[in-house]
Amino acid sequence: MKNDYFSYTAETFDRSKVEQKSEALKGIRVLDLSHMIFGPKAANILAEHGAEVIKVEVPYQGDYWRSSTYWGKYWKHSNPMWHFINHSKYFVGIDVKYPRGKELILELAGKSDIVIENFASGTVEAWGIGYTQVRKINPKIIYASLSTFGQSGPARFFPGWDLLAQGASGVISSTGYPDTEYYFKAPDFYGDFYPGFFAAMTIMMALNYRERTGEGQYLDVCQTEILMRSLFNFTYSSVTGDEIGRTGNHDPTAAPSGIFKTTDGIFFALAINTDKQFRSLCAVMGREDLAGDERFATALERLKKEHADELDPIVGNWIASKNSEELRELTKSCAFPLSEVMDDLQLANDDWRRERGSVVEFDDEMYKKLVMAGSAAMMSKTPGRIKWLTRPLGYHNRYIFKTLLGLSEEEIRKLEKERIVGTWDYRVGQRPPAYYDIEKDTMFNYDGKGGEDN
Amino acid sequence: MRTIKEKEKIYSRHMQNKGATKRLSEWSKMVSDIMYPEGKPEALSGTVVLDLSYANFTGVIATALLAEAGAEVINIEPPEGDPARVMTPYGVNVQGTGIPYLMESRNKHNITLDIHDREGRENLIALVKKADILVETFEAGMMDSLGIGYRQLEKINPGLIYVAITPYGQYTNRAKECASMPWSDLTSQAESGLAALIGGLADEPDPYNFPTRAGFYAAGYATAVSSVCSILMALFFRSRAGQGQMIDVATADSFSSCAGIPATIGYIWKRPRPRYGTLDYGLSPYGFFKCKDGYAAIACFRDQDFRATLRILGLWKIEEDWKTLLDRITDDVERAKILNREIEQAISGMTFEEIFTKFQAFSMKAAKSKWRGGGLPVTTKMLRPMEVMEVKHWGVRNAFFKVNDTYYGTFQVPTTGKMSKTPMRVKSISARIGEANDYIYEKYGLKVNGND
Repeated sequence: MKNDYFSYTAETFDRSKVEQKSEALKGIRVLDLSHMIFGPKAANILAEHGAEVIKVEVPYQGDYWRSSTYWGKYWKHSNPMWHFINHSKYFVGIDVKYPRGKELILELAGKSDIVIENFASGTVEAWGIGYTQVRKINPKIIYASLSTFGQSGPARFFPGWDLLAQGASGVISSTGYPDTEYYFKAPDFYGDFYPGFFAAMTIMMALNYRERTGEGQYLDVCQTEILMRSLFNFTYSSVTGDEIGRTGNHDPTAAPSGIFKTTDGIFFALAINTDKQFRSLCAVMGREDLAGDERFATALERLKKEHADELDPIVGNWIASKNSEELRELTKSCAFPLSEVMDDLQLANDDWRRERGSVVEFDDEMYKKLVMAGSAAMMSKTPGRIKWLTRPLGYHNRYIFKTLLGLSEEEIRKLEKERIVGTWDYRVGQRPPAYYDIEKDTMFNYDGKGGEDN
Repeated sequence: MRTIKEKEKIYSRHMQNKGATKRLSEWSKMVSDIMYPEGKPEALSGTVVLDLSYANFTGVIATALLAEAGAEVINIEPPEGDPARVMTPYGVNVQGTGIPYLMESRNKHNITLDIHDREGRENLIALVKKADILVETFEAGMMDSLGIGYRQLEKINPGLIYVAITPYGQYTNRAKECASMPWSDLTSQAESGLAALIGGLADEPDPYNFPTRAGFYAAGYATAVSSVCSILMALFFRSRAGQGQMIDVATADSFSSCAGIPATIGYIWKRPRPRYGTLDYGLSPYGFFKCKDGYAAIACFRDQDFRATLRILGLWKIEEDWKTLLDRITDDVERAKILNREIEQAISGMTFEEIFTKFQAFSMKAAKSKWRGGGLPVTTKMLRPMEVMEVKHWGVRNAFFKVNDTYYGTFQVPTTGKMSKTPMRVKSISARIGEANDYIYEKYGLKVNGND
């Protein structure tokens, strides 16, 4: 039966058939006016599922994140971490500061289903490309404004991003060891990425509503509030009058729990959530006596701080007596949560993730091979997919302006001359890789004669 | 007419543009109305969700989000209840229900139904006929072996969106090998690359240099939200194509698929990053620094923001050594520490109020200038959750829903999802086992001990 089930699922989720399957958001157009991570990631999730996402940047400047790589290390004249956030989008350069630039953005918004922006609250309204303007030409538009503190309330104009949202929400003060001066942030801009998914989620709620009723709407997506939504500390404090505080690598909702080191110096996480899991751990450790102890037999007792504090070192010592191979083998049969602490390199090379598609090696026309993360949620009939990596600033100008706005080559040249539309300057992150012959690129030089099926 | 109140501090010169006033006024009025959901329609009203989550908060959270958007969520538990009910900090509970479970018991109908019993399965099938979405978190293949997996239910309801959430998913050899592995947030954080990146620098003593947990369900929430994104895309696809589908979620991908950075770094650099303490891989300085009365954020992104910060903190003399972002972000930890120590020392003698006032004055002045190089140094104070609850801004935004219940007492839950037409909302919090049995069993014509 089990074999039969896994061959059924292997076929249902067969990665080699992804290209032949439908896309959930085909026919939906998104105007992405956002920059950095929060907004671009939200738009990217929609692009991954078939929406046509047009990303607008300021010519010769671009999204600041284009050039902001880790440790200053670039990859083929691009920020390698920018591809994951902006793949499968169309890139145009339009300057909103010119009246004609604003008109072009409004024309695109008129032909879109969704607009996403994450400037400081109120800025798009000041520019005349906010919801109050766009809904006049396109009443069905779903317009999402993303920000750190939201569009209303006394702190709405405070600028901010990931780190500030993490600090203002309570996330950072909850992470680290008690009685130390170090408060750790959730790394890799978690405070932008996770709210980016939340933004895409509310956009999808609005899109489903519009599908039923024909009505568009405005979304105030506040990243600090989204981080707050994921903390149960507020409810805990309002019930107890006390705080959860910091607990290092122990999870106060699971006992025993923690991250421990093996004989060969490898870290494993273990967390016991249920009584059944606890009994199973006790059996594996050969400590059935603990399972019978009334201090440990039931979850609500086990979780009490004084009881959890007794159990953690027992598990720690047990793991310290094992080597990583033994524990890896154990993960295949054990009935309690146990996992190796995986690092960047292991994640990149994990066979099963490649097979699953949660880590994807993509072969791009411009940049060639790059490994990127795929979704954690796989869809059987409409799987997400990467179509192309990012492109230089303004790469799709001709394609979008000609096919969507009906501009002629002459008109585009005039706009370029006036710097109302444009492409890249010399800076890394904006321009094509040095080896790439952009003059021969038919998409970049799109001549409007058809034949492209991008 | 002034739209932006005099006392509101503006950090953008565009807001003072001619012609912006009327639009800003219209927008301000609209956005303040969003805070009040009462009487407004709900995005997912009429959508029926069956929640079979078991000992897995990813499922519990995902269905709570759907319920906040107006779906009718039927929380299906075995007679003894979902073990997730007692996953709670230090065992703290209200009438036997743990804090996280209580907080996520939003607008749900709690019923008991035993899928290991024939009548229970018949009732489940009766519900599936009327349902749009089913969420389950059992061992991969378990539902299938009971005859109520996707391939059986799809025949009963072709439009069904069936969501399975497990550590390793429903396909691949790994999923098969580790099918019996249960979920936990901590192991999901570890398996997906988050824990490896949190913790003290290598020269810190044990266990402070160990991989560390983000102090909340960072994996659970990220994956729940990602699951709901896929569910809603499937719902949209169904409205156009008429077909349901299966969604397979692997919580071992929680962080790596959310922040996405680990796999790309591992591939390009061919080595893992070390834990970086309070330093940052991508920006510098970028963290919270201890001041006289707390911790203040110093987050310099562009070089002009950094220059402004140095001027304000009286550190201009070091500018020469750290001019560009490329000078400041480095894999040489010792060098990165030097800059952070400079900032730390400068901040340590100031109160947060002093830092904030100086930063704000600088930013607002720079924002008025047409010269773009002024920088926008920003800061915020690190708050503990109890302090967050006192912030007036969140009160104005109705970010906390207050429960005052004769059974559960008074407490608060955070809520968001502000939409002009169909705002997400908490209507009720109630978590008693089987409390909606009568209502749901009757509404859907389910059997009780053989009787309709």
